[in-house]
This record gives sequence, structure tokens and C-alpha cells, in this order.
Amino acid sequence: MITFFDGVEVGLALCMVTAALFCLFDRHLLRACCFFVGFALCMALAWLILEAPWLAGVEGLIGALLTAPCLFYALGSFSHAAKLPPYDHIREPLSRGVIRTLLALAWCLMVGATVRFIFPEMVYSPTEHPLLLAGIVMIATAMGAFAWHRHLVRRLLAFNVMGSGVFLLLAGLAGTNAQGQALITVGLVVAWLGSLLGALVIRRLYQLEGQIALSGESALKEKGK
Amino acid sequence: MTWRFGLVESTFTPLLTSHWALAAALCLPLLFGVLAAILPPRRMWPVALACPPILVAGLYLLTDTLHAGLLRWQWEFFGVSVALRLNGLSILLLLLTQWMGAAAALYTPGLLRISEPERFARWLWPLMGVVTSALSLAWLATDLLTLYIALEMMGLAAVAMLLLSGKAAALQAGMRYLLLTLVGSLAYLLGVALIVGYWGRLDLAGLAQVMEPGPVAWMAAALMGAGLALKAALFPLHGWLSPVHASAWTPVSALHAGLVVKASLFVLLQLWSLLLPDAFWAPRLIAWMGMLAIIWGGLIAWRAESLKTLVASSTVAQLGYLMVVFPLLIGPDTSPLARALAWEGFWLQLMGHALAKAAMFMSAGNLILATGETTLKGLAGTSRRLPLSLLVFGVASVTLMGLPPSAGFTAKWLLLHAMVVSQQWLAVAALLVGTLLTAAYIFRFFRYSFMETAPRQRYQPLAPGMDMIALCLALAAFVLGLLAHFPLELLQGGSA
Amino acid sequence: MINLLLIFALCWPLCVALAGVWQAYRAPASQRRYLSWWWVSAAWPSFLLAYAGEAQWVIDIWMLGGQWSLDALSRPWLAFTTLLWSFAAVHARGYLAKEQAKAQVGDSSAERRLLRLTLLWPLTLLGNVLLIIAQDIASFYLGFALMTFAAYALVVHTGTDEAKLGARAYLIMAVLGEGLILGGLLWAAGVAQSVLLEGVREGIASAEHGALMAALLWLGLGVKAGVIGLHVWLPLAHPAAPAPASAVLSGAMIKAGLLGWLYVLPLGETSLSPELTRLGEIMLIAGLAAAFGAALYGVWQRHPKAVLAYSSISQMGMLTAMVAMGLAAPEVWPLLLPGVVLFAAHHALAKGALFMGTSISEHLPRWPTALVWVLLALPAVSLTGAFGAGMISKWTVKSALYEMHHESLITLLTWAAIGTSALVSVSLWRQWQQRHAGGSHAAQWGAWLAALTAALVTPLWLPLPEGSVALPPLKEWISLMWPLPVGVMAVWLGGWLTRHLRIGIPPAGDLWWLYAWLAQNVLVAIRGVGQWCNGIKAASVNATLAIEKRVMGRLTQLTAVESWMRHHTSGLMMALAVVLALLLIWEGA
Repeated sequence: MITFFDGVEVGLALCMVTAALFCLFDRHLLRACCFFVGFALCMALAWLILEAPWLAGVEGLIGALLTAPCLFYALGSFSHAAKLPPYDHIREPLSRGVIRTLLALAWCLMVGATVRFIFPEMVYSPTEHPLLLAGIVMIATAMGAFAWHRHLVRRLLAFNVMGSGVFLLLAGLAGTNAQGQALITVGLVVAWLGSLLGALVIRRLYQLEGQIALSGESALKEKGK
Repeated sequence: MTWRFGLVESTFTPLLTSHWALAAALCLPLLFGVLAAILPPRRMWPVALACPPILVAGLYLLTDTLHAGLLRWQWEFFGVSVALRLNGLSILLLLLTQWMGAAAALYTPGLLRISEPERFARWLWPLMGVVTSALSLAWLATDLLTLYIALEMMGLAAVAMLLLSGKAAALQAGMRYLLLTLVGSLAYLLGVALIVGYWGRLDLAGLAQVMEPGPVAWMAAALMGAGLALKAALFPLHGWLSPVHASAWTPVSALHAGLVVKASLFVLLQLWSLLLPDAFWAPRLIAWMGMLAIIWGGLIAWRAESLKTLVASSTVAQLGYLMVVFPLLIGPDTSPLARALAWEGFWLQLMGHALAKAAMFMSAGNLILATGETTLKGLAGTSRRLPLSLLVFGVASVTLMGLPPSAGFTAKWLLLHAMVVSQQWLAVAALLVGTLLTAAYIFRFFRYSFMETAPRQRYQPLAPGMDMIALCLALAAFVLGLLAHFPLELLQGGSA
Repeated sequence: MINLLLIFALCWPLCVALAGVWQAYRAPASQRRYLSWWWVSAAWPSFLLAYAGEAQWVIDIWMLGGQWSLDALSRPWLAFTTLLWSFAAVHARGYLAKEQAKAQVGDSSAERRLLRLTLLWPLTLLGNVLLIIAQDIASFYLGFALMTFAAYALVVHTGTDEAKLGARAYLIMAVLGEGLILGGLLWAAGVAQSVLLEGVREGIASAEHGALMAALLWLGLGVKAGVIGLHVWLPLAHPAAPAPASAVLSGAMIKAGLLGWLYVLPLGETSLSPELTRLGEIMLIAGLAAAFGAALYGVWQRHPKAVLAYSSISQMGMLTAMVAMGLAAPEVWPLLLPGVVLFAAHHALAKGALFMGTSISEHLPRWPTALVWVLLALPAVSLTGAFGAGMISKWTVKSALYEMHHESLITLLTWAAIGTSALVSVSLWRQWQQRHAGGSHAAQWGAWLAALTAALVTPLWLPLPEGSVALPPLKEWISLMWPLPVGVMAVWLGGWLTRHLRIGIPPAGDLWWLYAWLAQNVLVAIRGVGQWCNGIKAASVNATLAIEKRVMGRLTQLTAVESWMRHHTSGLMMALAVVLALLLIWEGA
């Protein structure tokens, strides 16, 4: 039974990380958002495995049913008039990517080392907490991606993935007791509200200025001229 | 430090009336906000009628705190315990929030009446209520969950308020602020996760007892520090601040610059004094960043082209003063005298700046509203037609410059004293340079506004009371400096 | 009694001055009598005070602590000074009668001038009296300054161009002198830790830089006393001033400088430092140079008062030489002092009479011509030492010098007397050339006659110590008298030469013109330097502006960093977390 659960957990963790990575790094935005729906479903499954049905419900409701439509709305999938370009064509300089990667690695190390300090037995069997590991990887990657990307929808996605990673870590570290569940629930609601607000603003910005990324003040000024 | 924040057991149980007063202070702003959204007030008097219950509740809590020294509340919801406390510091900040919220609310009807009606204008009221409630909650909360809730309510409501003006620039700035504040909160939550995972509890008082330095405390402190620094616009993470204010409505800016960023700083200081009571270098790093902030903010404000950028950049510099004090408040070897002085100076500077900055934003908003110009050059020659707004700006800048008899002066005096006692000469130099730079950017604006050769413009008359509210706030900063004895006693009152 | 007299003596000039102003304020122009007998009486209480006996007053509440005294030195000084002031006042009443008549018919400028004189004449007198009785620094300096600056009105009285030039020269030199005096007094007082003149004397005698202090004081007071080089105001101011003013300027005020020397220099003190002795020698040389140089220069002057001014310089040169002996040869000083006092007193009255005489020759009374000119010549002859009090005063000095075997100095002084003779004869000759009849006033010649008489019998009324005055023995009379005919001969010769060789007449004021030329050049140079500095200032302002512009440009560029920070905020946040974590680990580990 335990090994079965282990196998399921490992598989789930792998699925989640894969979905998260696609969601973060796929330049086709609609596809990335679809991956996010899959990721949210995986998360709900994970909550079930962690014996937190309440959280699973909330995650399923908020993550898959509420946040994802916000993202699709931001992309303009529901309207025929002003769709965002399907691909993110913004190219960043290499140095930016390198530095962000290094920073993300550093974060990964930081959080990982701390988790290892909290669970000293992880040294002997690193795969005992696969969800925890997935959480760490997701946090670091998503943070790096958030700092790297400039496309607003992708940053919103990165924020959501990172939030999920944090929740996973929280559940893995503290267990799914009342406090943890309360924290995670609040976090989920906040993430949804944030995504909603963000999606509205992205949509409006695109309609007003045709912008899909935050430009510096200077760029805005030049445009004004 | 934990006793300074009131993280100890209290000997008194709050009275029943205190419960009601607390409930009023926390919920009435929300309630009135929603009411105002349904029936938007067109005049000042409905707002003036709504404010007194909240203010009375605050004053009642003040007398209660004076009586008991420290009040604690604790509730249990579904196995989650929520704890609030009221000591000298938090009641001061609560009162400040309430009065400034009232001032902003009183200012709003006039503003909305003059400026062209916006589609989302009525949403300002509930958001303002949420921000006031969330701020009040943030000052009172003593567990990480409540703090998180308060921070998130505050952050999201603030973003929404800033977005309300609906212009492209506002949307862009608001979007940046939204993303950053959400990520900052996530960093905070990550820190919380580590703490909960290791020590298994969320209440600060309990954590203070079991907390011991170690990798978990360090990592949590680093993550929370970075996240909250981002939310508090500490240099060099302040980039989002001035664009946000450049296009926001005046009362929103006043509340935001005065209080919202300070709340994150408050949480940061509280958590660090808990997690890193003996750290030496981390507070130093913050202090060095603070020195850079003072100089950088001053320079940016000095070269600013628009008045709102000037005021917003000055916030960055003024936050630098608070950052510089970190090593005196947190750290191993500070003499008790220096620590007490720094403690008093820190909060007095925070409160004085909050009042002065709100007044400054309001007067700047008045000037911009009346002339329709946002740049310093466009505002040239305003001294002839808008002397009162300019006077308010001047009175507020006296506090920012730290001239007597303002709260800024008293606070700087205390801080300088503490720094000299603990021989932090670099910080002293930064404080003095900051004062000079403040004078430089203030007088740059005044030079423009007293230009006699500027062409005469048509001026939009202001609604009655808009200048008076700003003047009252600016003068409140003076009163705070002149009667500093009372708040300082309250700040140290937690020591009993 | 004497106290009351002192108060009266000091207050009376003030009351008189105020009464004059009050009258000018109240009475209509036609009834104003500026030079009333009240005004004339300003000096009388002080004169009485001089004969009231010796006394000393210590007044603690007066400034820094006042000390006044009437002693063997100040009593005769006060006597001859106030006597001359009284005569001059009476003379002024006659001299200015016409001006007063003009003022009464409504000449506003005459009115203004008379009012100024009415107010400032008593004040000048008050300053003079105060400095004589003062024994503390503050009172002395107050009196000296009051006298100096109030006397400006006396010099500038007529308001002509010459008067203005003379007054300007007077004021410039006076300010210079006041500065030197103040510096010397403060320095010496600071060293001696005393506020008394006696303390200054002791301080100078004992201090390390005593000679320097003494030199400052010598030169500062020497402006008034006409030390060579600083004398230039005398020949410019005297011809321009009214005759009575010239009389007090040359008779009384010029002596104030001398009295200042007697008060502040450690004269006759034994064991003086070599520097002070050296200073005494320098003073001696300067005095003799003045005595001879003034005579040689003065004989060429056209204006009788200018000639008399040079005579004053010459006489003061002799006195300077005598005072210098007090430093150079201190042992002779006790014997010399009565002679100096008598010399000064006689010179004061005689010079006063001579200056008043210039106004007599301009308005000759209807007397026999010979009588008038003999009377006019009498004080001149007395001044040369050939007759009357002049002879006695000269002998008093000479006998003291004989006793201590300073024969060479006696010879030099005798030769200087030739110069004096020449000067007074030139003065009389010029008066004869420029004589006018008519317009004489009784007060005018009355005062003149009185001054003349007083000058001739000076030793009889001067309150000198017993036995300090003696008649010269008959065999010395020749040595005292021969310079007079020699001087007259020299003048006659000089006059003959001038007529035949057409030698130009040098201007009055000699060195003044050199100083003025130098000052002008210095001013031009300073103006040039000023312009140069102005240019540099403008250039540096421009440079600074350019630098400011560049710096501001850089700062504005720097704001681009702000947008970089805005662009990378989230990255910076990650970095901050990493840095904080590393710091904490490094510190904690």
C-alpha cells in the first residue's frame, strides 16, 4: 500500500513538474494555459492524496474552474475581436536568462537545504517526499520564470505555479492540519483574486495600448510622442 | 524586542465594551465602504457622519490601552487560533490609520465632484474601507496567518484602488504593482511555510518562546525579508512606487504612501526582531540600502519633472531613514539607551512621515487638479493663485526636511542621538545628506512655484475643505512633534 | 566744593551746546544769537577748576572704572588750554559777527554753519578738558575722540573748497591716528591688565614689545601733534579754518597730542629697554627734522596762516625732540618736564595770539599803524625766545639740558630758533602784504590783546610747581636773542632771491600731495585688481555653471538607472533574498 502510494506520489510529482515546466516555458500561450488546467487538476489530486479533501475541492474549484477562465479571458479566447497574439515573441537578452537561472538555482538550493534541515532523514531516501521536492522545484523555477518573462500572461502563470509550489511545500512541511489548510485556502483565494484582477488589467491594457508586456517609462513616453 | 511589540501575556482580559470597540474599528470601515458603494456620497457631510463611530471606537480602545497597558484577544475558528493584541504602539498606529483614513474619506467627495466622473469611482469607497480595516488588522495581528490575511487584503485593495483611475499609465503601473505584491506575499508565505514546518505554530508570542537561531530562522527571515522589502518599496526594490503614484487618485496615494507601505515595514521589523534577535550583518545590509535609498530617492526627487514623481521619490528617501535605524533596533550589541531612542525615533518618524506625506500628496493633488498641469514647469507661478495649497505643501515639507517644530525634527533628533550614542557616523552622515537633498528638491519646486514671470492660467476652483483637510494633516505632523511626549510615552509604555 | 566744580566744568559745555540747539529750534531766525556770552563762557568753569587745587577722583561706575586727577602736570595744562579756549571764544564772537548778521537776515547756509559751530565748539572743548583730567584709558580715549571728531566742524566751517580739502585731510589723518591710538592703548592695556594710563606706562616699560606699543601710540598721537610725515593736515586745515578755530587747533588741540605722549610714554623711567631708547632716538631725529624742515618749507608759503601752521610744526618738532629725550636720556627728564610744560603753554598762547592777529591784520582797527604792527610782532618775537615768556621758557629748557651736558641738542635747538624767527617774520610780512582796514570788532581785538598779554607773561599765571621757572642770567641773553636778527636777515635774503630768481612757490601741505598722488595710484591699482577679480569671478561663475549643467546632465542620465531597477525588480528581490540568506548563514555558521 505504501509503495503504491509512493509510486502514485512520484508519478504525480513528475506529472506536476512536467505540466508546470510546460506551462512556464511554452511560448504558445493557449497551450501553456491548457497545461495550467492540467497542473491544477494534478494539484487537486495531490491534495486528495495528502488527505485534504477540502483543499482538493477548493483547488479544483478555484484553480481549474475559476483561475483558468481568467487566464483564457486574458488571452482573449472568449471574444473574437481582440485576441492576444498566440505566441510570446519577446526575446530577452541571454544575460538576463543566465542570471535568472542562477538565481533560481540559488533559491532552489536555499529552500531545499532548509527543507533538508527540517527533514534530516531525506538524506537517506531523497524520494521519500516527492511532492515536497516537486514543490521546491516548482517554486524556484516559477520564481525564475517570473523574473525572466516579460509577457504579462506568462508572468501571471508563473505566479500561479509558484503559489501552488508554496502550498505544496506548506502542506508537505506542516501537514494538512487546520492551520495549514487555512493558510492554503487564503492563499488560493488570494491567488484567484490576483489572477482575476491581473486578467482584467491585461485585457484592458491590450485594448487601450496594445501592450502585452510592461515597458519602461521611456518606452511609454516615446509611444506617447 | 518582543515586549516592545507586545508579544507577551497580558494580565488583563478585555472588557466586553472593548470587544465591541474592536469589532467597530475592524468592521465598520468595511461596512461603511460597502454602504458608500451602494449610495455614493456626493457631499462631505455623509462621510463626516460616518467617521465618528470608528474614531470613537479607536479613542475608546486608546483609553482602554492606557488603562491596561496591553490587551489581548484570542479566538479559535475550526481549530485555527487567531490572536490580536493592542499595546501602545499598535494603538498609536491604529489611531493614525483611522484618522488618516477619515481625512482621505472626507477629501474624496470633493475630488470626485470636481474631476470628471469615472466609471469605477464608486468602487473607491469599499476599497478604502478594506484598506483601512486591513491596516488596522495588520497593526493588531500577532499570528502569521492573520498577518498574511491582513497583508493580502491590504495589497489587493491597494492595487485595485490604484487601478481605478483607469488610464493606461495607471493600468501598467498597477499591473506591475499587482504582480510584485503577489510575489512578495508568496515569498512571505514561503517563509511562513518553513516556520510552520519546523516549529509547528503560527502565533508570534509562542514562536518567540521556542524560536532559536538556525538555518530555518535564517532562510525564513531572508525570504520574508525580501518579500516584505518588495512590498514596502525598500531600495532597490522601490521601482514600482513612483509610477503607481504618478497616476493614482490623491486620497489613494495619500493612504498608500502614508500607511500601506509602512505596514509591510512594520511586519518586517516585527518578524526580524523575532527571527534574528542577534543578527549583525542583515540589519546592516538593510541600513546600507537605506543610506543609498536616502541619497537615491533624494536625487531622483531633485531631478523629477513631475510633482507626483517628486513626492513619491521622497517617500523612497524617507523610508531610507527608517531602514537606517534597523541595526539599532535589531542586533547584538546596542546599548539600551540607543535602542530606546531608536525605537522612539523610528515610530515617530514613521507617523510624522505618514501625516506629512498624506498632506503633501493632497496639496500636490490640489495643485494638479486646479491647474491641470502635472510637471513642475507647468506649475510655475502657482503661488499667486493657490497660496493655501502651496502653504500646505510647505508645512508638510517642513516635516520632511526635519525642521523644528515638526515630528520629523523630533524623530530625527532622537535618531541622531541614538546614532551618536552608538557611534554610527555613516548613518549620521546619511541623515544629514538626506536633509540637504530634501531641502534641495523642496526648494526646487518652490522656485518654480514662485516664478513671477509665468503666464497666468485658468484655474479650476477647488471644492471647499480640500485644502483644509490637507492643512489639518500637515499641522497634525507639527502637533505630533510638539506634543511628542505623549506618543513616546505610549511607545515605551509596553515596557511595563 | 571741588567736586561740584568738576561736575559743573564738565556739564557746562554740554549745557551750552544744548542751549544753542534749543535756541535755534525755538527762536525765530532773526532773533537767534548763536555766539552768546553763555556760549563764550563754556570754558570758564574748567579754567577755575585748574586753580582749585590738586585733587583725584575715582569713579567706579564710569565706563570701565574712571580715574580723574588734577596734578602738577594736568593743572597747568588745563589752565592754558581753557584760557586759550576762552580767548578764542571771545574772538570768535567778534570774528563771526558778520556771519551772524547774515544768518539773522535769513542766509540759510550761514545759519547752518553757525549752528554747527555752536553745537560742536563746546563739545570739542569738553573732549579737550576730559582728556586732560583723565587718568584712565576709557576717559582719555573718549575725550580724545570727541575732541578730534567734533573739531571737524571747526575746520570745515567756511565750506569753501580749501576748507573741504583741509577738513578731508584732517579727517583722514585723524581716523588713521585714532586707529593707531586705539590699537596701542588696547595692546598695552591688555598686556598690563590695567585700565589706567599709569598701567599703560608700566606695561610699555616692562612688556616685551613695549617699543612697538610706544611707537603705535607715538604715531597715533603724533597725528595731532604734527610729527613729520603725519603733519600734512596742519598746513591744509589752518589756512582754511576761521582764525579762532585755527587758534585752538594750533594752540590747544595740537598740545593734546603732546599731553598724550606725556601720559602714555614711560618718559624718564630708569632702566628702559634698548628698543625704547632706540625709539627715543628716532623720535629725536624726527622732531629735529620737523623743526628744520617745516621752517625751510614754510618760509615759501604765501598765506600767513599756512606759514604759522608750519611754524607750529616746527615748534612741535622741538617739543617732540624734548619728549624724545625722556626716552633717549631719561635722567634729564625730571628737569626738562617743567620746561616742556612752560614751552607748550607759552607756545599755545603765543600761537593763539598770532592766529588771532591774522584776523586783526585783515580788519585793521583805526589805531596808529606802528602800534598795531608792534603789537602784532610781539608774540612773534616772544616765540623766537628773544623776549618775554618765550625767553624764559627757552631758558628753562636749555638750563636743564646744560645741566646734563646735552650741548649739541642745545645748539640744534638754537639753530631751529633761527627757523622760527624766519617763519614768524615771513608771516608778518605776508600779513603786511595782505592787510585790510576796517570792519574790526571790539571782541575780536579785545581777545587778541588779552591772549597777547597772557602769552607774554605766561610764567606769572601758570600754576607750575615752585622753583621750576627762573629768569635767564644776563650773559645768556645774547645766546637766546641772536637767532632773531639772523632769521630776519635770512628772510630778507630769501625774499630778495625770490624776486630775482623767480623761484616758484611750493604748495601748502607738502607731503599731502605726495600721499594723495600715491593713494590715487594705489586706488587705480586696486580698481584694476578689482576689475581683474571681477573678471575671474565672472569666469569662475561661468565655469561653475557649466560644471553644474554637466553634473545635472549626468544626474539626469543617472535616473535611467531607476528604470533599470524598475525593470529588474523581481530579479533584485530574488538576489536580495539570496544575499540575506548568505549573510545570515555566514554569520551564523
